[in-house]
Amino acid sequence: MIRRKILITGGTTGIGLALANRLSVRHDVIVTGSRAHEDITEAFSPNLVYVRASQSDPARAVKTIAQQLLKHEWPRLDNVVLNAGVGFAVEDGLDEVAKMRRTLDINVSSTMLIARAMYPWLSKTKGTLTIIGSVAHKGHKRFPSYAASKGALNGLARSLRSEWAGEVAVQVLHPGPVKTGMHEKAGLNPGWVSEFFIRTEPMARMIEYSMSSRRSPITLSWSRYIGGGSITGRRL
Amino acid sequence: MRALVTGGSAGLGRALCDALLDDGFDVISVDREAPSQKTEAKHIACDLSDRMTVDNLLDKLEADEAFDVVIFNAGISATGKFEDIEPEDHLRVFETNASAPMVCCAGLIKAGKIAEEGHIVFVASLSHFTGYPGASSYAASKDALAIYAKSILKPLKNKHKISVTTAFPGPLKTEHAARHAPSEADQERRMQPEEAARLILADMRKRKAKSLPGGTTALLAMAGQLAPKPLTFAMKQIIYKKLDRTVAD
Ligand SMILES: NC(=O)c1ccc[n+]([C@@H]2O[C@H](COP(=O)([O-])OP(=O)(O)OC[C@H]3O[C@@H](n4cnc5c(N)ncnc54)[C@H](OP(=O)(O)O)[C@@H]3O)[C@@H](O)[C@H]2O)c1
Repeated sequence: MIRRKILITGGTTGIGLALANRLSVRHDVIVTGSRAHEDITEAFSPNLVYVRASQSDPARAVKTIAQQLLKHEWPRLDNVVLNAGVGFAVEDGLDEVAKMRRTLDINVSSTMLIARAMYPWLSKTKGTLTIIGSVAHKGHKRFPSYAASKGALNGLARSLRSEWAGEVAVQVLHPGPVKTGMHEKAGLNPGWVSEFFIRTEPMARMIEYSMSSRRSPITLSWSRYIGGGSITGRRL
Repeated sequence: MRALVTGGSAGLGRALCDALLDDGFDVISVDREAPSQKTEAKHIACDLSDRMTVDNLLDKLEADEAFDVVIFNAGISATGKFEDIEPEDHLRVFETNASAPMVCCAGLIKAGKIAEEGHIVFVASLSHFTGYPGASSYAASKDALAIYAKSILKPLKNKHKISVTTAFPGPLKTEHAARHAPSEADQERRMQPEEAARLILADMRKRKAKSLPGGTTALLAMAGQLAPKPLTFAMKQIIYKKLDRTVAD
């Protein structure tokens, strides 16, 4: 088994952190987030390297990530998982302008620029670029801008997968509802329904198996989970 | 009756302005460039890739009367290998094609500047159904717009009686499209912008959710839904492999 070099954005909590902790047992993982290191409150594997790079400024986030990779002497990457994301719920289909721009900057513009910047790192290993979408990528009246951002990522992955075929495998994964802090931050209280959300650990397993399959697009929802999607599959 | 068209100075936007003028609308066109020909439409200069300028535009429109028709048509592109296109160009494409129309749409409705029973049209692209290797950020921006339109359709209909139509035009015979196509591409098979404008406006009046102007466009959209991967592969053969340069607006 090879020890992989992996970059995961948005790895300070939620799905990204569960994936990072899981993969760091057998691989070298760098994670990013917008908060200060000391503000990471959940179990954060000591094997993980943390880079603070806020994606509300896409150009700066890219620069920071590239510099830190060089500083840690990582000239190549086997996997990049672009997972950082935010969303905001609205009542009547109308987002606030500032939140709209924030959602698009963090979820799309930054993801696009980081994907572009990581091309030389990934092409050296014929690696895999994994973009975390959402089942909302087909449209959602409670999250118009968030849905639009995930629709954009779905389209980006589709075209880029074709462009980079044979060099870097590009894939988009669309998780269904996962039990993380995202819904509360979005201004939505799912209440008892959240008991039916998939937990982060099985979601992280499904993501790992999807990464090793390199297929795209893949929906990671309840039906896959019940079909054994979190227990069967190849590890990275 | 008042209409707002973004990107009304040339191409499909100009054709949309002309058709609306013929129907007796007062037309305001928002474009970074002045109209290329004499027109009755009123021109407001605005670079939609610049957030401050977009905020000023919104302030201006919010101080004015409401519109019966608003068409978000302005779009730019960046073609070439994704990794060869400058980051600023990718960002400019996404700002102009997705962020600006989304922000303007929400802003205008919140300010009550789209009349009840009014119409909104978002001009996305046939690439929503086919993929577009060689213009990945453009494809992403048009998908964002199409999904945004789909997401707000019901809330706007129920609360404001405003209809939302998303247009998915295929290749048009415009200067803009020619700039981005491979040099050897056949220009003759492209649809005239006047024809596309007529079809899109007809679908808008019928309050259709989707407008696929022309038989070939509808056929390709269907093929893209039935067999997404082969179609993107075909797009790669037809466009990406023949791209001989990087072009950004
Ligand atoms: N939870 C779900 O039900 C669900 C469903 C489908 C898809 N997804 C997607 O899965 C991904 C992870 O979601 P999650 O549920 O794990 O969310 P989460 O618990 O809220 O975690 C989000 C992660 O993104 C990072 N992030 C947010 N804003 C950032 C910024 N400006 N710059 C850099 N990093 C930033 C956060 O780091 P900081 O806090 O340090 O900024 C955090 O690590 C997202 O893309 C989300 O859209 C989630």
